Amino acid sequence: MAKDRSNNHDYGGPLRRLLLSVMMLVLIAIFLLWRIDSPRVERFRAQVTDRIVPNFDWAMAPVTGTVKLFRDFQSYQRIAEQNQELKRELRRMKEWKEAALQLEEENARLLDLNKVRLDPRLTFITGVVMADSGSPFRQSVLLNVGARDGLIDGWATMDGLGLVGRISGVAKNTSRVILLTDASSRIPALVQPSGQRVIVAGDNSAVPPIDFLENPDLVRAGDRVVSSGDGGVFPSGLLIGQIAKDPGGRLRVRLAADYERLEFLRVMRSYSNEPVSDVTTVLAPSGGIDPQTTEVVNE
Amino acid sequence: MNDHSTYRIWLMRSAFVGLALVILFVHLLPLNLVPSNWALPNLMIGFAFAWSVRRPEYVPPVLLGLVLLLADLLLQRPPGLWAAIGLLACESLKAQAPTLRVATFLTEWATVTGLIIGATVVNRVILAVLLVDVPGLWLTFVQMGMTILFYPAFVFVTHVIMGVRKSVPGDLDTLGGRT
Repeated sequence: MAKDRSNNHDYGGPLRRLLLSVMMLVLIAIFLLWRIDSPRVERFRAQVTDRIVPNFDWAMAPVTGTVKLFRDFQSYQRIAEQNQELKRELRRMKEWKEAALQLEEENARLLDLNKVRLDPRLTFITGVVMADSGSPFRQSVLLNVGARDGLIDGWATMDGLGLVGRISGVAKNTSRVILLTDASSRIPALVQPSGQRVIVAGDNSAVPPIDFLENPDLVRAGDRVVSSGDGGVFPSGLLIGQIAKDPGGRLRVRLAADYERLEFLRVMRSYSNEPVSDVTTVLAPSGGIDPQTTEVVNE
Repeated sequence: MNDHSTYRIWLMRSAFVGLALVILFVHLLPLNLVPSNWALPNLMIGFAFAWSVRRPEYVPPVLLGLVLLLADLLLQRPPGLWAAIGLLACESLKAQAPTLRVATFLTEWATVTGLIIGATVVNRVILAVLLVDVPGLWLTFVQMGMTILFYPAFVFVTHVIMGVRKSVPGDLDTLGGRT
């Protein structure tokens, strides 16, 4: 009896078949459109995220907080031990602070002598991490600042100490930060004492490897890695981390930013950048170009 | 009775949407920002399968397609592909539902296992053919295994907590109401 009924109603129904085929066609069309014109669909994705995820926010913050609280219980157990450790560390930090203050004074004096003016536009906006990528395959976070706050694609984000990632996808109220650990992240960098130029290439692991290193002999574990600003999409001199060698002998970057606790991120404003746009123009020889095209290009 | 059944169908459909939103919420919680070597099971597809076997009328294709598409968009997957594959897999489960209704749970689990493996492989192959970056093999494997392993848990939640059960012969169910 059950069999008869299901045959009658549900699966043979022409309307149902039609709806299914239409749905399949729509889904496949969206996928192909994404493959062909990725930026447009990604903008659509950012807008959908912008509409939906902020609605979860009221529940997300307390749930995240509670889970973190329970996780921290483990560390509460050895709180006395930690306290001692922190005191020792604090003493060492005080020495460093003293050294830093002296250097700062000296630096200020030297800058004054040279009449150097720092770029006043290199300021930052702080955003709160609302959500993560939701998938183990992608490493990104969603911030609660967006186009409304003047964010632009390509800006760097830091956690106060080190570089975290860059803005990719800005909607009205939210923006997505692709973390340095994401498999699609590529950041031009400089290895500090030797001054070698490298690319920090994320590979979905906690310590991203470095690529395009010219002379590995000059680089040692513990060297500082800072952003180089090559290509003009990123400010230079932001701390990324330190070089470390993995058991396979490959050079990787131990990131300075504390990825365990990303709660607030600084988005560094930098207007001097070349804008990151997806519009491509054809490079034509200067002689054979008609006036109309030139006008468009000049605009 | 007619009114009652229609009401129940729409109630359970909205319950499915609610469940999907809860799943997305859980996935989006910013708890683990460090890349790791293991992955959560694919909750969305697990529940979609469990519901499709039990009460196909609660998860019509359009609803299922939209929910899966939303998941694709919010969880940073290539939009549409996984949704299309998932929808197709669910529809094939629905077609087999009358047989699965009388079969044991092990048969159902085996069928679902086959579908999950098939869907994962098809997804990877299509991505590779279209030259999209494919996610890491190990992670994909872990996620697939976890989804299969946790399928009984999805069924438990669906059956016991949400009260979505297989209709039995002689049951005055929602389908009977619409005849």
